[in-house]
Amino acid sequence: MADVFQLAGSAWETLRFPLGGATCLFGGILCLIGTIGVIRFPDFYTRLHAASITDTSGAFLVLAGMALMAPNWLVLVKLFCMLGFLMLTSVTGSHALANAAHTAGLQPKIGPIDQRGNDDHEEGGH
Amino acid sequence: MTFAALIALLVGMCLLLFRALIGPTMYDRVLAVNSFGTKTVLVLGLLGFVMGRPDFLDIAILYTLINFVSTIAILKFFRYRSFQVPLVRKTDAAPRGGDRNG
Amino acid sequence: MTEVMIGGTGTALINILFLGILFVVAIAIARLRSLFAIVMLSGVYSLVSAAWYILVDAVDVGFTEAAVGAGMSTAVLLGAMLLTARTAKPEKPLKRLGPFIVCFATGAMLIYGSIDLPAFGDATSPANAGVGLTYLQINWYDMGVPNVVTSVLASYRGFDTLGETAVVFTAGLAVALLLGFGERSLASSLKKQPMTEKRSAPSGKDGGAA
Repeated sequence: MADVFQLAGSAWETLRFPLGGATCLFGGILCLIGTIGVIRFPDFYTRLHAASITDTSGAFLVLAGMALMAPNWLVLVKLFCMLGFLMLTSVTGSHALANAAHTAGLQPKIGPIDQRGNDDHEEGGH
Repeated sequence: MTFAALIALLVGMCLLLFRALIGPTMYDRVLAVNSFGTKTVLVLGLLGFVMGRPDFLDIAILYTLINFVSTIAILKFFRYRSFQVPLVRKTDAAPRGGDRNG
Repeated sequence: MTEVMIGGTGTALINILFLGILFVVAIAIARLRSLFAIVMLSGVYSLVSAAWYILVDAVDVGFTEAAVGAGMSTAVLLGAMLLTARTAKPEKPLKRLGPFIVCFATGAMLIYGSIDLPAFGDATSPANAGVGLTYLQINWYDMGVPNVVTSVLASYRGFDTLGETAVVFTAGLAVALLLGFGERSLASSLKKQPMTEKRSAPSGKDGGAA
């Protein structure tokens, strides 16, 4: 029984680096897709949607991948601290951003896609 | 693979920079800069792992906190035109939005 | 230990990406007229330059740059923006000729001066062969701190660091006294004057979007 555990442990030691790398890569690609959404989406609220979803899930995947590759417990604790801070702060920041935009009267674009006018203009600057 | 993830995040940072440059409204710029900060944190962490020195995570933690503080400061500036919110509503020149939170 | 997958080309690629972002941001800061966008982009510039400092192993400089550049200076610049207009005035192109010549001459002289510098990481350079070598040798027995920069900054040059901190604190205090925050700030005292009252009336109507 003991050598089964030992075998599993050694297999885990060899497996966790490619696994962590793949998780990191997946998270990085997710972040990249989200930033493409930030470029391509039509108005502020949809861009906020794209950015905040990838900021949470992509960051979680990248941090989980790093945690799989962590060499010691201290690094793991630091990664968990970062995960906690990011989960608290990015969600709060997104909410505060949407709240500020809504309070200031920024309207989302509503309607079919082909009727959407290209009325992006620099707000403010008076 | 970690290196590929790092490159993907860096390319994403470049794209976000584009949005921060052209962003039609101020909120788009703030959104891009906030997301840029989050990606910088992730890049720093990955950089530590790729370079074989995961001790850089301390700085990534610092970046997380600074990013949050600066985002909240910017939004507070938007909403109240000042960094200090008056607790009672003034009769003259009350800041916009100050009455929402009492 | 973790796998080390980064070689010379990998470091070069990341360096090029970071410096390219810095270049684009600097050009954009010089070209843009909206002051708010410039403040945001200067925050981005500090973040990226701090990340680049960490890439070239200047961790303490990166730490300072992140704390001061991205955190503090954004808040101070936003406070200063309360006192002024939202956009910069368009400049005449000929007016920039003098500063451009000065910058170009200074840069050319600096590049000319950097030819004489020893190569990066040269073991026989004066900085590495003289007192630096001594610090590297005695640091572990004196302090037991693995990072030599930390031990030099905080212990061997402790009074110097204390003086620097006092200078930076005084500068921050002076800025805070000049700009002020909240009730007694320069911006709110300007707002109370009757001269600006008719200007603040339409700004309440446009939804507060800066």
